[in-house]
Amino acid sequence: MSELRVEGLAKSFGGLRVFENISFALPAGEILGVIGPNGAGKTTLINVISGRLAPSEGRVLLDGRDVTGWPTHALSKLGVARSFQQTNTFRSVSVRENLARAIRFGHGTEGDLARLLRDFGLGDRLEEQSDKLPYGLQKMLGLLMAFATGPRVVLLDEPAAGLERAERHRIDAFVQHACVAAGCAVLIVEHDMDLIRRLCPRVLVLDAGAVLADGATAEVLARPDVIAAYLGVTDDEAA
Amino acid sequence: MDATRQDAGMTETLVRREPLLGGAEIAAILVFVATFAIPLLTKSVLVYSVLNQILVGVIAAQSVWIMLRMNLLSFATPAFMAIGGYTVAIAGRFDITDAVLMTAAAFLLPALVAVPLGALVLRLRGTYFVLVTFVLSQIMQLVLFETPSLTGGSNGIAGVPPVTLFGSELASYRQMLLFACLLALLATLITALLTRHFRQHFAAIEENEVLAESLGLVVWRYKALGFVVAAGVAGLAGYSLVNMLLTAHPSSFDSITAVDFIAYTIVGGRVSILGPIVGSTLLIWATNLFGTHGQYAQGLYGVLILVVVLAARGGIVGSVAALSRRWRS
Repeated sequence: MSELRVEGLAKSFGGLRVFENISFALPAGEILGVIGPNGAGKTTLINVISGRLAPSEGRVLLDGRDVTGWPTHALSKLGVARSFQQTNTFRSVSVRENLARAIRFGHGTEGDLARLLRDFGLGDRLEEQSDKLPYGLQKMLGLLMAFATGPRVVLLDEPAAGLERAERHRIDAFVQHACVAAGCAVLIVEHDMDLIRRLCPRVLVLDAGAVLADGATAEVLARPDVIAAYLGVTDDEAA
Repeated sequence: MDATRQDAGMTETLVRREPLLGGAEIAAILVFVATFAIPLLTKSVLVYSVLNQILVGVIAAQSVWIMLRMNLLSFATPAFMAIGGYTVAIAGRFDITDAVLMTAAAFLLPALVAVPLGALVLRLRGTYFVLVTFVLSQIMQLVLFETPSLTGGSNGIAGVPPVTLFGSELASYRQMLLFACLLALLATLITALLTRHFRQHFAAIEENEVLAESLGLVVWRYKALGFVVAAGVAGLAGYSLVNMLLTAHPSSFDSITAVDFIAYTIVGGRVSILGPIVGSTLLIWATNLFGTHGQYAQGLYGVLILVVVLAARGGIVGSVAALSRRWRS
């Protein structure tokens, strides 16, 4: 079983410090939500953990092994998969070819992809060019491509962004499948608080590049400092 | 129908086995097999000359095309051609003319030089890659001019002996042309096997390098492989050029000739291996045709490139393929 551990992670671009001193552990089969206002460093955190960016300080450990600064492809081989905030597929080729590339490059298996494809409404659209799919299906295809690499840790960057409310149950199904059936550790960066409440037993709040809170979701989201920094209050409450 | 059976039918073929060679690759190889007939059917010096130029151009354009498959526009082709060509010319000074040995050397030496160079330049993308590969060709010119004891400097190396095959000299124009056909066939085979075998990998890098790497593709490894093989193929073009002229001269490997090889590839179309073949054939034939109207030659050449690029954005082969798809649907 895999565990992702982050210790004292910091990232700066020149004089600009994006975040600092971020630490958490994410065991296999668990889901961690990461929330925070725009610019808090959530996507950069995923970029650092997935090897796209090197951290300025701190360590990333996978099953106790220090993988800090490893390149993306090497981390992918170890089972770290990520999705992107925007739709990100090979636009000129079919759904089938996109998934085939993910399986081929990541040395994954077809496994139970067929059931997921059917559940996500992609089962009968395998031959369609990916950029001709509706936005929501392109995002689901991106998630399935990450899953097709056979991951042990899944990093999801705003998976529900741009999806219609009716489509968001697919994210739930995907995360549950990755977590329960495949035993992956799942980290979700998301602004949809309903989704965070539904899926994440634990949440980490980032604000201005620092950890503001880390704990059980219901408790953290009820904290006044979290509400003030991120969730905000209604006019009535403020009054 | 139950879901399990439906699922099995759906995913059995998600990852399909790729054939060793596709239709375009087989067609390209057949073109060069058929080319062997031309020197046997005619003795026209003009045909021989134009065909020889086309064969050199096609090999060089294939080198450019390999890198374009990964969205890398390389101006380094003349530099690697020079290494291949001068290797043969220098070996000729020592009476080493064996065709098999020289072909291997003309491929392997540029490929070996490309290994450390690739480690440096393949970190770059876009305009920076273009500029640095152009600089490589410029540096090669400097090396050729500044090492007269090895390369003959500005005089080059004249009187390169013809190649020998199994001890026999291929000295007649026809034999030399047949050998050029053989080099073109070999370069096409290498290019076809490489780009077909790694078709999905190259296409993924071309389209979305970040996504490809996040899925586990070791992007630098495929770029390096492409760069090294492209250098070897360019070396074969240099060999073919020196064999045609029996002279190795810096001006034959001028960095600006890279523009011609790129034009051949873009005009022919970058979607298929047939693109560099069609582009080289058309533009070199046109150069010779326009050459009879000396004062207008460059202008006419430019107009032809403009017309093709504006009318056929995917190049000639890409546009024909698109028309064919539209016709079928």
